[in-house]
Amino acid sequence: MVTSGVRSVASDAFTPVRSGVNAIVEPIGSFLAGSVHYGAVREQNQKLQAEIDQLKMQDASAADQAAALQQLTALLHLPYLANLQTVPAEVTDFGTSDFAATIDIDVGRADGIQLDMPVVGSGGLVGQVVEVSHHTATVRMVTDGQSSVGVRYGPPPGSLAVLDGAGAGKPLNADLVPTNTALTDGEVFTTSGLQGALFPPGIPVARVVASHTGATASQESVSLQPLADLAHLRYVSVVLWGSGS
Amino acid sequence: MNGRELGRLTLVILLFVVVQETVMLDLRIGGVHPDIMVLLPIVAGIIGGPARGATIGFGTGLVSDLFLPTPFGLSALVGCLIGFAVGLATQALDRTAGWLAPVAALAGSAIYEVTYGALGSVLGQPQMLHVALVRIIVVVSVTNAVLAVPAVRLMTWGMARASTEGMPMSDTGVGVAR
Repeated sequence: MVTSGVRSVASDAFTPVRSGVNAIVEPIGSFLAGSVHYGAVREQNQKLQAEIDQLKMQDASAADQAAALQQLTALLHLPYLANLQTVPAEVTDFGTSDFAATIDIDVGRADGIQLDMPVVGSGGLVGQVVEVSHHTATVRMVTDGQSSVGVRYGPPPGSLAVLDGAGAGKPLNADLVPTNTALTDGEVFTTSGLQGALFPPGIPVARVVASHTGATASQESVSLQPLADLAHLRYVSVVLWGSGS
Repeated sequence: MNGRELGRLTLVILLFVVVQETVMLDLRIGGVHPDIMVLLPIVAGIIGGPARGATIGFGTGLVSDLFLPTPFGLSALVGCLIGFAVGLATQALDRTAGWLAPVAALAGSAIYEVTYGALGSVLGQPQMLHVALVRIIVVVSVTNAVLAVPAVRLMTWGMARASTEGMPMSDTGVGVAR
């Protein structure tokens, strides 16, 4: 708790510094990149090339905005969040450490965000808030090795299992799935609502990509792919859900 | 450590933190970003010897921990160990050699990352050994080797009292005139 408080203060203090330096560094980087690029173009083609570049930039910008709009629209129409209050957030950083699968978002305590709140993307569960400062928060993604999510699968009422992360970019592993369980590729596991109600029930988490039973295994070996596109997150929603809600 | 040295060191560490948290976090090579905070205990060990390398490594590690989601104190512990180890390993070497800082940064960064993952695993985070460790080692070590010489110059300025155990600063030759 003490270290969390110290980290929160450091984050609050450093956020404006980071924004300020980025505001200075990014235009310089863009200027240098532009200089190198245009320097290579022959003089007689400069005007035409500039126009082409501008059109390309507009096109890329439009595509970028369309992708962002698509993510935001998808976030507004998540059926599994029908009765839950959410706070939209923009992803500001993908992990400050190479040893953990985390993202930083631009909402914090001032927006009602608290520790352990679930975070969802357009596809499904993204993770859980693990650090909160005044205006930012850190989210541990479901792929992080420290992440465990209680899930339900199969026909209602469904069987229970736990999905463990194995590192960024790696599939999730299912724990507690009995041997010879009939699982089909693409079958979706959703949050169980148990586990001290850390997550609300019914949020899609991942789909099965492979399963098999080893000769001497005591449980089924199941690999799952997260439904949220964790590598290309831009916007997420923090579910205002406290443990025991 | 007097007030002047503390002030200078604080400025150097602040500069490294700002560059790490702004430029380096956006620079990803194979999905891994460089970590110049690792350089601080290494160059402190080269310039100041094992005792001061360990002390400064601990302090810079604590600062790093403020911005990392990994266990608080882990960077401080590893920074302390690496600062001491680099100081000890380079104590008997010719510090005027141009290759010393890049080689120490290359080897020190690799050992730092392995130790960081291993100790994190021991401290209850086994997933820290299940990351792309080789890729992390290569990216962090190579970038730190490239940046080692300017880092040594900055740290030499920061460590106003930079003489090592039994070795006056005039003999170290790794810094620049202050």
